[in-house]
Amino acid sequence: MADQPSQEERVQQALEDAEQRTAGAMEKVVQSNAFGELLARSTENVMGLTRIGFDTFDLVVRNLRIAGRKDVARLGTQLARTEDKLERVLQEVESLRDELNRERSRNGSAGSRTKSSSNGRSSNGRKRSTSRSRSKSS
Amino acid sequence: MNVLEQVARAPAAATEFLNILLTTEDAEVGTTPKDVVWTHRKTTLYRYRSTQRSQPIPVLLVFALINRPDIFDLSQGRSFVEYLLDEGYDVFLVDWGVPDEEDADTGLEHFVCEALPWAMREVLRSSGEEELTLLGWCIGGTLCAMHAAIEPDSPARNLVLLTTPIDTDGGLYTKWLRRDTFDPDLVADTYGAIPGGTIDFANKMMKPVTNFWSTYRKLWHGIAQGQDPDKARKAYQPMAKWVADNPPFPARAYREWITWMYKENRLVDGRLRLNGKRVDLGDIEQSLLVVTAGADHIAPPPGTRPLLDLVGSKDVTHFDRSGGHIGLMAGSKARDEIWPDIAEWLEPRSDR
Repeated sequence: MADQPSQEERVQQALEDAEQRTAGAMEKVVQSNAFGELLARSTENVMGLTRIGFDTFDLVVRNLRIAGRKDVARLGTQLARTEDKLERVLQEVESLRDELNRERSRNGSAGSRTKSSSNGRSSNGRKRSTSRSRSKSS
Repeated sequence: MNVLEQVARAPAAATEFLNILLTTEDAEVGTTPKDVVWTHRKTTLYRYRSTQRSQPIPVLLVFALINRPDIFDLSQGRSFVEYLLDEGYDVFLVDWGVPDEEDADTGLEHFVCEALPWAMREVLRSSGEEELTLLGWCIGGTLCAMHAAIEPDSPARNLVLLTTPIDTDGGLYTKWLRRDTFDPDLVADTYGAIPGGTIDFANKMMKPVTNFWSTYRKLWHGIAQGQDPDKARKAYQPMAKWVADNPPFPARAYREWITWMYKENRLVDGRLRLNGKRVDLGDIEQSLLVVTAGADHIAPPPGTRPLLDLVGSKDVTHFDRSGGHIGLMAGSKARDEIWPDIAEWLEPRSDR
């Protein structure tokens, strides 16, 4: 008799059974074609309403001569595209630097010559950059 | 506990229950110390700090475009990252960030052909290695598979794909999305970045009673029955916070994902092209581990298994376990039941 579930346990069990049956039934509902159709149509309606709302707000903001969300997003997109290009340039520079380092370590004793010649190039580059900055400041 | 005791305890339990729900946002997730290695647009590459790296080949974790990658590092004791670090791996994580309308032009090409290879490049530069292990979960797994298929010179030595959608025929998503009345272009044109909440709602609608009712009912039941509130809090809050944290899905990636994967099922048929290249899963030659979860309703096992026959890899392993899409890797049993098997598979494939 001690193993008999108490009344509370029986109620609890009944509730959990009901929950499981409801879960199973609801999963069947969401798997039906009718639910899929309902979801698709509802999405379409919500999108239509959202678009009307967005367009209206954007029109109001633009007519007030203020940058709207679309303008800010467009600017952000341009910045992101610039970042893409910078990343590509940076990768190119890094791979060239890696190649140069590999070349230097491969040449071993000839390294000092390579070093001095590369130093010369970089110093030239620095000169060019200095003259450019001078011309800018003037 | 008899009925009278339960009634007497109800006000305290209700306060505790509400407190757990209302302070979920304060739960700490993703706390394992890490450093930023590289950033580009919204993407960030992290390297986890470790003093015991013994496995030469680093592991790069790649998560889906929906939800945040914190699930890899949910909380102390429930962190796959922590487990990998303890096993001696050099662990990196690519975080796609929180896209917004300015990222509307970001398509699958960006993730597969640019962001992922660039992150891999940075992993190799940071670790000083020439190869790595790519470990992708959900859409992250599909992105990794696409990358491996399209890039013959990929530095990925091993490919680990967790609950990854490959063949979408027959799934519930397909039933909802592959109908003329559902127009992903309309959604993508309306929002530059599809609100994460809408995708989360659709995910939850797949098992509505479980997601909208049972989770809360179980939490309440535990507290009402006298479960230690701290224990209940630690068990519930990190996962609930992660589930509710839904970044937007960039419009172009959304359009391409829904159309190519669910409406047209292109990947499995080899009809998907990125950057002008055909994504042929037969070109995947890495050592491959595929993990499926029996109770996964988001990427059901029949939708992943075709990959096993399609790939060109000679070294293919498949773990088919019980559990759900997320529960398999982040549930309370994951630490004992699946992580050790993944580490055991990785270990002989991670030597120099």
